[in-house]
Amino acid sequence: MEQRPSAFADLLWSLGWIVLGAAIVYGAWTMDRLEYMHINPYTAPGLVPGVLGGSLVVMGFLLMLRSVRAGALKLAGGMPQPHIDLKRLGTAFFLCVGYAAGLVGRGLPFWAATALFVTTTIFVFQWPERRQNGQLVKGALIALVCGIGTAAAVTAIFQEVFLVRLP
Amino acid sequence: MFDGLSLFGRSLLDFGDPLTLVYVALASLLGIVIGALPGLTATMGVALLTTLTLKMSPEVALLVLICAYVGAIYGGSRSAILLNIPGTPANAAACIDGYALARQGLAGRAMGISTTGSVVGTLIGMFFLALFTPTLGELALKFGAYEFFWLAVFGVVISGSLTGDDPLKGWLVGFLGLFLACVGQDSIHAFERFTFDNRDLAGGFALIPALVGAFGFAEVLSVLAEKFARPVIHKYDSYLPRPRDVLQYWRTVLRSGVIGTFVGIVPGVGEDVAAWSSYAAARRASKEADKFGKGSVEGLMAAETGDNACVPGAIIPVLALAVPGSAPAAVLMAAMIIHGVQPGPLIMVENPKFVYDVVAMMLYATLGIFIFGLFLVRPLIKVLQVPRDIIMPIVFVLCVIGSFAIAQRLFDVWTMLGFGAVGFILRRFNYPMAPFVLGIVLGDLLDKNLRRGLVLSDGDLTPFFTRPISIVLWGITLIAIMMNIRAVSAAATRAAGALKSRIGFVR
Repeated sequence: MEQRPSAFADLLWSLGWIVLGAAIVYGAWTMDRLEYMHINPYTAPGLVPGVLGGSLVVMGFLLMLRSVRAGALKLAGGMPQPHIDLKRLGTAFFLCVGYAAGLVGRGLPFWAATALFVTTTIFVFQWPERRQNGQLVKGALIALVCGIGTAAAVTAIFQEVFLVRLP
Repeated sequence: MFDGLSLFGRSLLDFGDPLTLVYVALASLLGIVIGALPGLTATMGVALLTTLTLKMSPEVALLVLICAYVGAIYGGSRSAILLNIPGTPANAAACIDGYALARQGLAGRAMGISTTGSVVGTLIGMFFLALFTPTLGELALKFGAYEFFWLAVFGVVISGSLTGDDPLKGWLVGFLGLFLACVGQDSIHAFERFTFDNRDLAGGFALIPALVGAFGFAEVLSVLAEKFARPVIHKYDSYLPRPRDVLQYWRTVLRSGVIGTFVGIVPGVGEDVAAWSSYAAARRASKEADKFGKGSVEGLMAAETGDNACVPGAIIPVLALAVPGSAPAAVLMAAMIIHGVQPGPLIMVENPKFVYDVVAMMLYATLGIFIFGLFLVRPLIKVLQVPRDIIMPIVFVLCVIGSFAIAQRLFDVWTMLGFGAVGFILRRFNYPMAPFVLGIVLGDLLDKNLRRGLVLSDGDLTPFFTRPISIVLWGITLIAIMMNIRAVSAAATRAAGALKSRIGFVR
């Protein structure tokens, strides 16, 4: 069951929204108004982002007010606790980003990158359970079959059947 | 009316060739599997399948996507009933009574109810799709810049108010989405905004990679970050639908179908709200309200009819106004644009048959879920038992391909990663995704029409507030905002109570 974020977490978020909104307003205000093109001033490119940034600032303040009324300042010492396994999250993030930004489109054929990613990810995430059951070799083989199978199926279906260019 | 029927008949015949029917079968099946697997949503499924349809004709491509959409919303009930885990957010309401029935050894009956409810719900929605789209399209022809501006604001505000349990956070992410849609060349002067001299950013963030990230990568991270035990499936009885269930609860079925469709029409609200609203309305009106939550056939029927009726409902504003009624409908709209179909008010003028094509697509999708609902129970249960740490890496590979394939640029893969990471963090802190998506979709509409409106009125804001349709749109938007201010909401409740008691007194 997911828990509701604390009032303190909302307070931190409100600061983030205010800073983001203010940065957008600044960016919009300093944006070229194309006066040299004699455009109608109401069509200036920064107008809408400026209004949206201002709205974010206002709503950020409302969130701040609400979080303070909910006792955010009394919890000022405590950081919001993430209700998630950070080790698993970090591993998932590293593997996914490593594959999408590090392997794909960097010279390695797509099928090889895919086989490597799928095999590694399955093996890594099944590691604790497999090790506990003494099935590491079986786990590695299953991961390898899934990896090669996925790479072959994806390449065949997308590239050969549906003529989609792969990265 | 007869013109409509004739166009509908032609559309049905157009999709009747064997290859198209094979596509219908495969797409419905894939949709059901996507929906049944917890962690894979209809939005993600439709977004990923868009890539596969790139080389198809627009009609066949949309048929495939609609079959997958309907299939996914239906398929989500399987895991809701058997595992007590909603396959998609739309099926959360089905968990309550569906799983309670499964625990009583009636999982088969629950699956049958879900099949009949979904089929009847889609048919009701389909009827309204055919009925309302031309009318709404005609009304939309009267929209000018002022009305379209308010429509964008209305969509984001209503979506923020009704999805999730914190409207302020819904509005914040909705406005963030509107801003992100402004990044890149602006639509009037082609001036680069917030691109920081990055050439890739000049084209802005493409919608499909953004949605694949927000719904796909974010979900992959969520699922892989949590350790799940292997699912335990309860024994089940006969899963053949019983017509008696529909006949006995025909009022509930009809009511849920109507509620589902109308919730679908409201921009960016979607199937989960439709299911909960139908469920709540059924409970209020039921003579067996005490059975709700303990395995009520009526409750499950209401939830499943409501969420599937929402699918055609959500497509009505896509076709008539180019405003999506739900997150998967937003992807469907993007797919239409990719395939050269421009949804919006002019569609009934330029291509009236297309609306009936979509109605026919719905009918084929309904047939697909009905047939697979009857015959594919056992294999689907096997699919549910595949460990998620095997499925999720494969899904992520599809996310990468889905983001890359449309424009064939690696920047879109990075967009997917960025939106996925942001979406994951936002969801962890209780920020709903539907208004965010709607903001990205409606950003361009808002941007163009606010500036056009100001030019037309020479900076005068009066027309934004005085034209009849504008009054309705800003009025509802204002009410939605005010009702979320505690003091105003309490005063309104008190006033309604006083009025009610006064009416009672007069009687």
